[in-house]
Amino acid sequence: MKKLSARRVATVAAIGLTLGLVGATAPARAADITIKVLTPNYTDNMAAYYADLEKRFMADNPGIKVEHENVSWDEILVKGRTLISTKSYPDILNLNTFSEFAAEDLLYKASDLFDTNVLSDFVTAFRNNSKYNGVEYAVPDLASARMFFYNKQVLYSSGVSKVPTTWAEVTAAAKKIKRKYPKIYPIALPLGPEEAQGEFQIWAGGNGGRYFDEATKKWVINSKANVNTLKFLTSLVKAKLTQPNPAATNRTDAFKLFSQGKVAMINASVFFPSTLKDYKSKVDYGIAPFPHAPGKSSITLGVQDYFMAFKKPGNQDAVKKYLNFLYSPSNYAAFLKACGGFIPATKSASAAVDSSLLPFIKELPKAIFYPGTLGAWGTVAGAITTQIGGGVTKNPKKVLDAIQAKAVKAGVK
Amino acid sequence: MSTIKTLSVKEPKVATKKRKLAPSGSALAALPWIGPALILILAVVIWPVIELIRASLTEISNAGSFHGFTGLTNFRDLIANPDLKPVIIRTLIWVAAIVFFTVILSLPLAQLINQKFPGRKFVRWALIVPWAASVVMTSLIWKWILNAYSGELNLTLDQLGLIKEPVDWMGDPKTSFYFLIWVAVFVSIPFTTFVLLAGLQSVPHDILEAAWVDGATSWQTYRRIIFPLLRSSLLIATIINLINVFNSFPIIWVMTKGGPGYDTDTTTTFAYKLAFIESNMGQSTALGVINFLFILIIVGFYLRVTKATRTEL
Repeated sequence: MKKLSARRVATVAAIGLTLGLVGATAPARAADITIKVLTPNYTDNMAAYYADLEKRFMADNPGIKVEHENVSWDEILVKGRTLISTKSYPDILNLNTFSEFAAEDLLYKASDLFDTNVLSDFVTAFRNNSKYNGVEYAVPDLASARMFFYNKQVLYSSGVSKVPTTWAEVTAAAKKIKRKYPKIYPIALPLGPEEAQGEFQIWAGGNGGRYFDEATKKWVINSKANVNTLKFLTSLVKAKLTQPNPAATNRTDAFKLFSQGKVAMINASVFFPSTLKDYKSKVDYGIAPFPHAPGKSSITLGVQDYFMAFKKPGNQDAVKKYLNFLYSPSNYAAFLKACGGFIPATKSASAAVDSSLLPFIKELPKAIFYPGTLGAWGTVAGAITTQIGGGVTKNPKKVLDAIQAKAVKAGVK
Repeated sequence: MSTIKTLSVKEPKVATKKRKLAPSGSALAALPWIGPALILILAVVIWPVIELIRASLTEISNAGSFHGFTGLTNFRDLIANPDLKPVIIRTLIWVAAIVFFTVILSLPLAQLINQKFPGRKFVRWALIVPWAASVVMTSLIWKWILNAYSGELNLTLDQLGLIKEPVDWMGDPKTSFYFLIWVAVFVSIPFTTFVLLAGLQSVPHDILEAAWVDGATSWQTYRRIIFPLLRSSLLIATIINLINVFNSFPIIWVMTKGGPGYDTDTTTTFAYKLAFIESNMGQSTALGVINFLFILIIVGFYLRVTKATRTEL
């Protein structure tokens, strides 16, 4: 402890010297508190949404000042981790992982932030995904399910009469498309760092493959099902049925190609229709469940994001007020609207969803989720996103073995 | 004691004694002036180094909490990491290639802008631009130029009929690493050229004239007179480039993020990835220490060289 406080003094002194702020006085009123909120930019509407929300929030709560930072999805994980590893915790964080912070005992329990009746309004499945060691340390803000999108015009005019439901049908359809339209990539395979863990899980899930076995509590990244999945994807790449260099193609790049009609089939998320609208895409698309391996069944990948609050002396009341304000029905409805086409995380908001979401909600019962409640998930996901794309050009088994070794090292806490 | 006695006897020597005391006295007296700089150096340079070394010997979670000293475990883990070796080899190629090409291209450029010709001022200014522009911006522009689907390079090649389908220059490590090196050379040339230009301008005119009178050809003049006199600026430019290039982060990070996988990482970006993508603070800090030692060696070399050239002059 002594060492820590000495270091803190040194830090303060150093910062003070550099900025010339030595002797800065304490806030005028003891009740005043500033909370820092860090959120990802689901869409470009987020900044305006938060500006309005916080203006009203601060008017209602004159003792609380909100400092907000809204950054792109590409950056937020690294930014959040950088802040946290340097101990400059945000007060409130909106992110796709919470367990690594819960494992360090940095977060408030959900029950410290919300009343029981508010908590019980969250969709139960999503609440269960917000638990670390059986305790809720975060609340879901929204969720997504994914489905198979295809370009109707390209698919049907290539002589494919039925939307592919199996891997064999995907390969056959892709070959037909390639023959008819040599300049169109039949399948997008974005295994770049942005979302590789999702893309691979979708394919592997259709082959019964998972990252983590809940029954044995073990990492199973190099399982036979996963190796075979990676081999299948490699065969698509070798046959030039995908865009070049899957390992360097990010999901956003693939989305753009589909929106321009340069890709015919793609695995995409519930918000993809609104993205296509943003891109002013003229592609006439259809939506179907994901194709699966022979003898296996189709899955969807469920992903949810979280709001979490970091324990800091004296901030509990302020973060509690802020989060309850955000989750009040009208503000939460506006939040969902600004995020653009996700599945709501509360039962009350689910009752009023747009009909375009229904096919996705229908898929939810067969959803598989990341092992996001494990403290080690963040580390493992990092290893997957960095390395798995290499599996389609290098040796699939070796690549998965390398990731498995890292996962085993990270543990199963 | 005895000296003081003798000194106190002889009046005139008192002044000398005072003067003798002066140096140590003035060192203390100078403290208020150099103190802030000293504190700044301690806080900004020395302290982080100590923290880095300390961190490399501990286990730190990615949330920054301390889990005890672990000795050299982090270093052992890092050395056992199968991804490290290719990254180190790539880093050496990266540094050597960039410094080599930068110097090779800068030598004739410096010669060129040392000549008198109309528009020389403009050319000199134009040469500074890549240096003055932010490296992130330059890298971004190159990333756009090289984009597989909408980049200017592919569009041009396509219109000329040279390629049938888009080539993903940045996606394939076989091509992207060359482009990364090219961009790094591009941003290193201005500085190097201007250091060499300064060197050229310090070549005494009478020696050149003597060579000319003796009938030396321009190539002989360059090889036998100008190049040897350029040696010290060349060495300094090389070493500063070594340090810059070794530490270079933005070009790689903006253009490929070291990917795919670790295929375009250098030790600098690899350390960052270890820490913030794979949450492996231990190995990252260990690599940080190794990077620091490497730089220290180059800096030591730099100091020796500058000292040597100073005494030479």
